[in-house]
Amino acid sequence: MSTQPVIDMCLSARVIVTCGTGGVGKTSVAAALGFEIAQQGKRAIVITIDPARRLADAIGLGEGTGNEIQRVPLDTTGELWVTMLDVQETFDSLVRDTSPTPERAKEVMDNSFYRSLSRSLSGTRDYMAAERLYDLCEDERFDVIIVDTPPSRNALDFLESPERLARFLKHPIVKFLVAPSRGGFRLVNAAMQPVLKAISTVVGGDTLTGTAAFLRAFDGMEEEFSRRALVVAATLRSASSSFVIVTAPSPDALTEADHFVSELSRLGISLRLIVANRMPPHFGALTATEEHSMAQSQSGDLAHVYELIAGLHDDADRADSDIQAFVQRTSATFPSVSTAFATELATDIHDMDSIGALAQQLAAPPTQQ
Amino acid sequence: MIRLFAPTLNGLSFVMELHPFFTAQRVLIVAGKGGVGKSTVAASLAHLSARSGFRTLLVTLDEPANGLPTHELLEQITVSPGRALADYLATKGLGLISRQLAKSGIMELVATTAPGLDDLLVLGRIKAFENQRPTEVIIVDGPAAGHALDLVRAPVQLKKALGTGPISQQADEVLAMLSDPARCRVMLVTTAAITPVTETCEAAEELMEKAHIALAPIVVNKCNPDVPRVDEAILLPSIREAYNYLSLRAEAQSEAIGVLTDSLEQSQLHLTQHHSDGTALINAISDDLEQAIRDLP
Repeated sequence: MSTQPVIDMCLSARVIVTCGTGGVGKTSVAAALGFEIAQQGKRAIVITIDPARRLADAIGLGEGTGNEIQRVPLDTTGELWVTMLDVQETFDSLVRDTSPTPERAKEVMDNSFYRSLSRSLSGTRDYMAAERLYDLCEDERFDVIIVDTPPSRNALDFLESPERLARFLKHPIVKFLVAPSRGGFRLVNAAMQPVLKAISTVVGGDTLTGTAAFLRAFDGMEEEFSRRALVVAATLRSASSSFVIVTAPSPDALTEADHFVSELSRLGISLRLIVANRMPPHFGALTATEEHSMAQSQSGDLAHVYELIAGLHDDADRADSDIQAFVQRTSATFPSVSTAFATELATDIHDMDSIGALAQQLAAPPTQQ
Repeated sequence: MIRLFAPTLNGLSFVMELHPFFTAQRVLIVAGKGGVGKSTVAASLAHLSARSGFRTLLVTLDEPANGLPTHELLEQITVSPGRALADYLATKGLGLISRQLAKSGIMELVATTAPGLDDLLVLGRIKAFENQRPTEVIIVDGPAAGHALDLVRAPVQLKKALGTGPISQQADEVLAMLSDPARCRVMLVTTAAITPVTETCEAAEELMEKAHIALAPIVVNKCNPDVPRVDEAILLPSIREAYNYLSLRAEAQSEAIGVLTDSLEQSQLHLTQHHSDGTALINAISDDLEQAIRDLP
């Protein structure tokens, strides 16, 4: 195992993907890794989805910046850039890039099904995340791309989105809807009729006609869509991509971290780094037991203060052993995984200085953590 | 409604004290960002409601609550948004087709055709539970992350997209439930740090203004204890650093709670940080909630 796992990863990876549940500081860690890469003299870009407002402000991502790429002013030889994922904007530019004529692009974009499709948050977002990653990988301005996945159990779905899209486009009913229209849907073969009727019952006939119009306008573009998606899928599974699980020491965060470990293992992707974030800090040379007995020899407010300090110590000890247990069981699945630690600050991360401090903690050799 | 059949005399007085909180609405949707403990709060509320004498239904999305204590008045049901469409078709006598659709993967296409359809159908199921007697209190462990707003907005957006038809009618009925504070309220859960508090205030504003949904009291979860002020000089030098850390942390916490109080008029239920999980955690939070609800103005 490396003595400086974070620095090694920052120097060797082309794509870094951070995953973890909400509240563990995943976006801060992604920004800190970007900061560290800039410190090493390389150019990093962090792509995030829906960051918390204060953090967005801290890294210079204001409201409504969409897909715009922004440089974070830093006093380093390397560069740190940040951007968000705007699903609609990404989809629009993908349609413009892949459509044979500007008229066809307009036809697709004017379709009401297209508009609701690009606004719906589920599968489209996953697919657009992959598409955006394709663009950034092609962009020579950046050495390392850091993907901050959304704080959801299904965050890794975007890895499978290319396959899902291909499956969808090849589906018989999609093929059928794309086929030239012969007097609406009346001349439908017998097998398809009840299916279409069921769909119409639920969503109404107009929606179905609109969907068919969209799929026809879209016809022919899907090959390029699929090609790009497969390039991204291959990049993410190659040795140049590193996956990071960010966790806090709480039982619920660790349960979710275990879930990500099994997801990665299921997808055949190896885990490079565990970031144990928001660890309660250790202070002083006393043990928790000594602090508890000191509390007992005091009275009033002072006894209370000593009790709180001993309680913080208990928290820190418990966090250490819970994280150690997690690292141990994760190593059974991914034997070469490394771990980096960062303590919980008394206040929220809200500026670039605190992100720099987090980067310093993560990059410190394990003995000093 | 006065409960004459409460099991014991103690139970009776207890029921009457907690009465207004649990019966202010039929459906309470618990929502909050990941990491704030939303699901645990929802499970604890349901448990507290049941042990206070109310026939309670806990509705979870996708996965059942972990470690929910058993109680004769407490029932749990899991609704899966992914299966909501299939369930809906089945109730319309289209069960066979629905199974075919599910098998072919075409259900995904239909859900894509009408984004928010899953959400609407989930709300439709909750509305159906609302009409089921003798359930008195329905607690919904709402969707994770910032998805709560999408969930409650789904009916409005679908109505626009679909015009008329059975789904549109379903949307009307769901909207009637959501916008009636006697039937449904959203309970936002946050932690006492400035970032989640800021996001909670934004979510509250959007829920009230854009979706016209009434809010229940706000839950501030995982609060750290207050730190008494003492003269640093009387502390052993070796623990001064720890004391400073705790004081700073407590200061940041009260600053965050101050922002919440200034921005939202809803009362707050403060719950302490616990280190257990599963049933022990739900029991501890139920006790905290009981105390906090009693202390409500």
